[in-house]
Amino acid sequence: MMERAKAESHPVPSGNMLTVLVSLCVVFLLFTAFLGAVKRGELFTEQNLLYVALILYGAATVLYLGFGVTGIHRYVQAASLATWLGFLTNTLAVGHRWYIAGHPPFSSIYEMLLSFVWTLAALTIFVERRYHVQVIGTVTMPIATLSVILIQLLPSEVRPLVPALQSTWLHIHVSLAMLAYAACAVSFALAMMFLIQDRLRTETFLAATSAFLLSVYIGIATRFDPSGGLRLIAWDAQGKQEIFFAEKTRLMVVVPELGWFFFLVLAAVLVPLVLYFWATMNRIGSALTWANRAFFVGALLQVVALIAFILRVREGVYPSSQVEGLFATNLSASPFILAGLVGGVFASMLYLLLLWRRSDLERMLPSADTLDVLTYKTIGIGFPLLTLMIAAGAYWANRTWGSYWSWDPKETWALITWLVYAGYLHMRITRGWRGRRAAYFAIIGFAVVLFTFFGVTYLLRGLHAYA
Amino acid sequence: MASQHRSIPRRIWKTLSSVATGITLLILTVIASAAGTFILQRPLTDPEQMLKAYSPATLRWLDAGQLTDVFHSWWFVSLLALLCLNIVFASLERFPTVWRYFSRPYRRPDAHFLTGLPLHVEIPVRSTRSGVEAAERAFRRLGMKPQHVGSGEEFSLYAERHRFARLAAYVVHLSLLLILGGGIVDAIWGYRGYMALTLDDKSNAIDLRDGTKKTLPFTVRCDGAGQENYADGSPRRWWSRLAVLEDGREVKRKEIEVNEPLVYRGLRFFQSGYGSTGQVGSIRLLAVSKKDPANSHELVLHPGENVSLDGDTEVRLAAFVPDLVINGNQIESRSDQPNNPAIQLAIRSKAAGDTRLWLFANFQAFAHSNSSPYDFKYKDLAMGYFTGLQVSYEPGQWAVWAGCILMGIGLMMAFYFVHIRYWAVPVNDGRGRLVLWVGAAASKNREQFEERFRRLVREIEQELKANTAAERRVKAAALVGA
Repeated sequence: MMERAKAESHPVPSGNMLTVLVSLCVVFLLFTAFLGAVKRGELFTEQNLLYVALILYGAATVLYLGFGVTGIHRYVQAASLATWLGFLTNTLAVGHRWYIAGHPPFSSIYEMLLSFVWTLAALTIFVERRYHVQVIGTVTMPIATLSVILIQLLPSEVRPLVPALQSTWLHIHVSLAMLAYAACAVSFALAMMFLIQDRLRTETFLAATSAFLLSVYIGIATRFDPSGGLRLIAWDAQGKQEIFFAEKTRLMVVVPELGWFFFLVLAAVLVPLVLYFWATMNRIGSALTWANRAFFVGALLQVVALIAFILRVREGVYPSSQVEGLFATNLSASPFILAGLVGGVFASMLYLLLLWRRSDLERMLPSADTLDVLTYKTIGIGFPLLTLMIAAGAYWANRTWGSYWSWDPKETWALITWLVYAGYLHMRITRGWRGRRAAYFAIIGFAVVLFTFFGVTYLLRGLHAYA
Repeated sequence: MASQHRSIPRRIWKTLSSVATGITLLILTVIASAAGTFILQRPLTDPEQMLKAYSPATLRWLDAGQLTDVFHSWWFVSLLALLCLNIVFASLERFPTVWRYFSRPYRRPDAHFLTGLPLHVEIPVRSTRSGVEAAERAFRRLGMKPQHVGSGEEFSLYAERHRFARLAAYVVHLSLLLILGGGIVDAIWGYRGYMALTLDDKSNAIDLRDGTKKTLPFTVRCDGAGQENYADGSPRRWWSRLAVLEDGREVKRKEIEVNEPLVYRGLRFFQSGYGSTGQVGSIRLLAVSKKDPANSHELVLHPGENVSLDGDTEVRLAAFVPDLVINGNQIESRSDQPNNPAIQLAIRSKAAGDTRLWLFANFQAFAHSNSSPYDFKYKDLAMGYFTGLQVSYEPGQWAVWAGCILMGIGLMMAFYFVHIRYWAVPVNDGRGRLVLWVGAAASKNREQFEERFRRLVREIEQELKANTAAERRVKAAALVGA
């Protein structure tokens, strides 16, 4: 089937080629998936539905990226259709999950990602319909696809809820959080697009992307073991949970060699940043060319690192430095490292797209003014949601712990996020901040959101530990 | 230069009410809060853990700067207070202008306004009357209710929508003050504590966070507590049946569970824990009379309680070891779980005197003693459980919730409602032509609003065209008739 598609489309390099190719891929994958499902005798399970959604989102990603690069309008129509269909199956998967679990799907990182993807797809469709920013899918759909892949790796069984989590208010709180964070993500994407349209120099994007990658790999390097390995949380495959060595202390296993390798990648992502500073300080243009080359090498190494990480962590038993014996680990035990690696690869890809196809992107994107107003409007949606999210969370905490505010890290960081966006709104409304400064503010806001979502859970565990 | 000549109070006022000050305070609050999440905080972290994490010198510095309890430090509280002051002053500074917009809508534009408004057009009309009437129909067609401004023949039109949106920022800021006010009330007068009750136990004392005890004006009694599990053994639900006693009289009764507290006199009692006390709750035994073996009966022993078997004999629990282990010649309990329970009974009989005997549930469930008129057989036992109650008193919380609701409303007003105003005024333009001046203003979203204004203008022009056509028809009819 695939071969026929290639044979057919090869002689005519028109706008139809990618669409036909992708549709045939989708049909082929769906057909094999269908055969597999029939063989196993279970058709409408959440796994199957998610797999279908993954295929459709993947197709939408390819088409949106094709649109982002070439600007052929037909692609975006096909991408929209794929997003719609993916959204429908995703809705079914969420509904199925809700029905099986008996509570809305917000209680574990798996369920939250499921809901996040759903919200992201919904927002993409909304922004595309309402504001005609068709290129939004070029940014959001890859995130959705990667999230669905991440979902497939996480433990998916329905876990019973501990008593504190059995509350409608919690569901309201988490759904508002997902909506607010998705709105912040969209505003971030729009602010980035604004910076492209505002003729921000490509090398500035290089520096920013490298800085982000550096922070990811420095974060991972904190798990470096002196023996050259990488310390990861041990995973109990039977109980599908982390292993505790003592109360509140997780058992860590050391995966050999991985630590050195990640150090190498850390050095590789550091090189372009150093070259960038060297180039800007001494005004040497050729150093920038070398920085971009080094970035490309770094991106390749990141992909290798991701693959190595997945292969090493997926199977096998490793020694621990705390106790004798060999223990297993699992990708589920290190969701944040995985998310960091995947996010790094994704950011690198986006930068390379910008590096190689900037003029096409500029042609495709809406004007800078439109993007500026849209960024503000998405924050205008996100900020009230953020407020209501904090209020609902406070109300739930009050009903569960008897206190609406206890300054635990997650709460405090939610407040910080709120304050940053409040600062943005004040600067914009009273000081008339427009353009680049506002865009930077929106980007900082999203960085804080990311820290609240990932960083706090990972680095500063508080009352929200089970979320 | 002029600013330097202003009086000092005026300058302080200006500084305190400026947006720049507000943003600076906001940034400082963000930095302080972030510091409070990175540095280990005192009441939550054990002192030993603090010593492990920081060197004594560092810890001394952190403590001196109250950085180990940021959120309760005087400087953080002052920061929040300054922020409040800034909100109040900034609002006071700007409110009068906005209130004028709100309380006295600008209905009749003057000549200066007519030329200065960015968004306006002039449409030639035949007569004042027909022009205004056409505009009125167009206004109504677009769903607006225009007001007639002026009297008699010389009137103009004014229409507006969502005037209240002008007040949005003040509603939001007021709500913020309400929330912070509620928080301050709770920080000063509120308290949180803990009360552990075993079955049938009652208490009026709670252990506060700071280690002191507080006596309540009423008593709480636990009439039952339990845990329900999922199939995999993890807890699904904890519950306690509580009763409130005032002067010995029961005044309230409720079964509480997690997320479902008991509220009495503003105090709320939350289910926060459930566990074994390590003590036995009740033991079921079979007592067999030696004189009459057929006459055996079951009895339930509670700690500290005498059970009379007949008129002559009483039995009570003398000792209980939940998980017996012999260590040398010492009797010890390995854990609080009843894995290997040992029970010592004290039997008091008028005829036979006092006796004590041991029962071991796992390996000697039948106890026989020559000096006791009864033999005892162990049946089963239930451990004593305690229910952990979180107690909190937060008189300011209602201000907080009111503030939250108000903030939701305020943000809706701020983001989704725009105060729009339309005017239609018949005027003579400079060249002696009679025109209908149509102008509009919006408080925000000006780009989108321009599109709406154009639509209104098109509607008015269409109405005027229809008018002229109708007039022509009337004139033609009149001519034919003549």
